[in-house]
Amino acid sequence: MVEFLVHVAIMACLYGLLSLSLNLQVGFAGLVNFGQVILFGCGTYGAAIAFSHQLGPVAGIALGIVFAVIVAAAFARLGRNLGADYWGIATLAVAEVLRILANNEAWLAGGAQGVGGIPLLFGDMPRPMGPLMTLGLCVALLLAAWWLCQRLTTSRYGLALKLMREEPQLAASLGYDLAALKTQTLMVAAVLAAASGFVFAHYITFVGPDQLVSSETFLIWAMVIIGGSGNHLGAIVGAILMQFLFAFVPFVKDALGLPSEHVAAMRLTLVGGGLLAFLIWRTQGLIPEHVGGKQNG
Amino acid sequence: MISVNNVRAGYGDGPDILQGINLNAAGGEIVTILGPNGCGKSTLLKCIAGFVRPRGGAVEMEGCDVSAVPVHDKIRHHLMGFVPQTDNVFSTLSVADNIMLGARYMPAAERNARYAELMAQYPSLASKQERKASALSGGERQILSLARALISKPRVLLLDEPSAGLSPMMMHEVFAAIAEIRDRTGMCIVTVEQNAFEALGVADRAYVLSLGKVAIEGRAADLLADPAMRHLYLGGKPPVVESRPPFAAVN
Repeated sequence: MVEFLVHVAIMACLYGLLSLSLNLQVGFAGLVNFGQVILFGCGTYGAAIAFSHQLGPVAGIALGIVFAVIVAAAFARLGRNLGADYWGIATLAVAEVLRILANNEAWLAGGAQGVGGIPLLFGDMPRPMGPLMTLGLCVALLLAAWWLCQRLTTSRYGLALKLMREEPQLAASLGYDLAALKTQTLMVAAVLAAASGFVFAHYITFVGPDQLVSSETFLIWAMVIIGGSGNHLGAIVGAILMQFLFAFVPFVKDALGLPSEHVAAMRLTLVGGGLLAFLIWRTQGLIPEHVGGKQNG
Repeated sequence: MISVNNVRAGYGDGPDILQGINLNAAGGEIVTILGPNGCGKSTLLKCIAGFVRPRGGAVEMEGCDVSAVPVHDKIRHHLMGFVPQTDNVFSTLSVADNIMLGARYMPAAERNARYAELMAQYPSLASKQERKASALSGGERQILSLARALISKPRVLLLDEPSAGLSPMMMHEVFAAIAEIRDRTGMCIVTVEQNAFEALGVADRAYVLSLGKVAIEGRAADLLADPAMRHLYLGGKPPVVESRPPFAAVN
């Protein structure tokens, strides 16, 4: 049971990183990114490509970050010519194109078969210690990401992001370069997502295109919306809550005597139903955005 | 100072909102753009500022084509100051912080010197510089917006409906402040306005738009005196119509 809880906690931390990354884009800069999963995928494929070429994990994380920054730059470039809603659709399209590319190009990282056998980050440690060390790393990464996001968004830079989100014309009239602000935000968010992907790849020990389906993006969106868009703590709480709810769906299934194939459907219902309920009854999420004065959370 | 030459502009794939507009504004004059709702006044101002890129023609400032120059570049190079239409001061920040936002890219010494100059020019703001902007009246908030745009000493000032949402007394105060800026600095000021009579009262020249074209242009005083203009574009009293019996009485 302890190992199961450690596994759930690791996944919650990794999704927490993704949720923080998306929250920085959507909650603060107003960038409606529907291609978030591909930034995560850059991290996983960085690890997979480095492993395939017998390069170490340092090369893996470096590759993942470089890929993610390139994709983020491409997203930002698209944003110069497209309105916010069209840009959101374009990011979804780019993410799907890259997923299909990863699925069909075997030379890249095994194509549809993916890459297996990626070593655990703490594989040489005995059984209870390895996962615990991974959990420690994930918690440290999450705290570092939270601190970074907090520092960024409580500074003048954060004020500029919120201004760009609420009043882009006013932001430009105060001399802010909106295109540069968007690019910087996307790049910071891309690094966070790639870090999550890299650790995920070394934890699950397998990377494949099935991990990049767009439903993953909408799961991260649900975490941000349920937790509270525009609040870092809310984004983390949303991720932890959703992950633990997901983990306990099989127990509910057993208690109700439902067949196993209902588990996936129950999880989807949980995402869709939760999202809908919060959009209707509590749009600000569990921990709302702090408006005015100094921010906490 | 500003020269708009045969500009066509619109949004997305939609039709042209501006259909070949020509406009000129020199230093030391206030030019006001008037017209009914939907005629393209705000689009023209956004086109001059750079928020909307012209589909055809050119916008020149100081003899250079600035049609493709981003807004922030014009602001940072002290070429232009822009005051948007909405209530755009930050209520939770102090008056001083609000003004300083307009100068955050300037060197500290220059910024502080300009701030001191502005405080001397606007004693009403100087006495409240440490207070939150939420404590200001509507007119004071608009003057704060003007001060924030002026701190960078722009050569051109663009104002999008500076009197929107203000009471007549505050409106008068704001227009007096705009006229004072022109007289003191010799700046080129272009405003878009709904309150035509007030705007023409301080403007030197005016352009009246209709359906994306310049319908009338001329000296503000001449336009104010023209009864046809007053009737068609400025909301002047319509001519008296012969009274008719009610519908039921006709039947």
